[in-house]
Amino acid sequence: MGFGLAIGVFGVVILAHAAYSTIQYRGLLKILEEEFSGPPVNVVVELLLGLGFCMCAALSVPGKFLSIHPDSEENRIVSLPANLDFMIFNHRGKVFPSETGLKLKC
Amino acid sequence: MVGAAEEAQLNRLENQVDNGGGGAWEYLCLVRKLKVRRSEKVLKHGLSILNNPNKRSKLGGDEWTLHEQVAIAAIDCQCLDVAKGCITALQAKFPESKRIGRLEGMLLEAKGLWGEAEKAYSRLLEEDSLDQVIHKRRVAMAKAQGNISGAIEWLNKYLEIFMSDHDAWRELAEIYVSLQMYKQAVFCYEELILSQPMVPLYHLAYADVLYTLGGLENLQAAKKYYASTIDLTGGKNTRALFGVCLCTVAIGQLSKGRSKEDKESSDLQSLAAMALEKTYKQKAPSKLPLLTANLRNLKLLS
Repeated sequence: MGFGLAIGVFGVVILAHAAYSTIQYRGLLKILEEEFSGPPVNVVVELLLGLGFCMCAALSVPGKFLSIHPDSEENRIVSLPANLDFMIFNHRGKVFPSETGLKLKC
Repeated sequence: MVGAAEEAQLNRLENQVDNGGGGAWEYLCLVRKLKVRRSEKVLKHGLSILNNPNKRSKLGGDEWTLHEQVAIAAIDCQCLDVAKGCITALQAKFPESKRIGRLEGMLLEAKGLWGEAEKAYSRLLEEDSLDQVIHKRRVAMAKAQGNISGAIEWLNKYLEIFMSDHDAWRELAEIYVSLQMYKQAVFCYEELILSQPMVPLYHLAYADVLYTLGGLENLQAAKKYYASTIDLTGGKNTRALFGVCLCTVAIGQLSKGRSKEDKESSDLQSLAAMALEKTYKQKAPSKLPLLTANLRNLKLLS
């Protein structure tokens, strides 16, 4: 997780650097009085790199993803809850010998 | 709703605690969360925590929840003095509490003193007439005394007020099925499916009751609901697969004299038969010849 976090921080730093480069480029174009058609190629490459790093970090940092399929092996419903509100106590368990010696002390 | 992963975790914790490893408190919390009824184990391990002053003080405020859980488990296992001890301890801590009044009522029920329990519950209901759990305990008491029609009456009155309580609908459906009043059971299961459409077990139970009722429309509806169960479980529910096959056979027998023009897709039953074969090959290969012979007799397999 530390490694993922480091990659995420690195990706954010790359994006910030790309933003700074674009602002500087625009300033340069204002001096040269040309139009701003789009960021230069290296800034675009930087942006894509930053996107890649941030995505890797976002997928690895939060931890294991849980399954959402209702019929997957770990999610399938095995039994319904036992309806404890309607539990009755005069069942046949009364005649089974329960463990004697079970006492609540104090 | 107990999922497969949760059940595996519960069993693992149970084994661990039974064989002397730690983790009793996590086991008890999981039992409480999943609402399973494992009273003997809860009683044994709960008492082991409560009788050990170190572990008790570690729980802090949760020890009273544990007292309640152990009290109910003790009542279920008929260790009435343990239950009385827990309830006394709880009463000392929380006097004038309705939850404890309920526990006392349950203790009276377990002792067989139905009249006194009824009086205790009526007194609690006078204070708060909308307490759901006390209403349900009254239904349970009627059921325990064998007065099933009284239980049905109470339960219907309860459901008129609290229509969204699906546990109660399920209980009513099971009571009707036990009395073979299948039409009313069908109504209850329909309410259940309406409120929780993604639980395959309700679809399966509904299809079972429809198949039991019989008649062409019921059989066709049953086949549809078996199919929806197969859909919701990804084809892994063997009972639904068998249901589809048997419904098709029964429909075929009923509509033998009628026109066979509306022969709906006969893919469903052959696919179900093939899926059954595959499941048996995987899980019970020794029974596969029996299955294949039966399916051939029913003309579901070529």
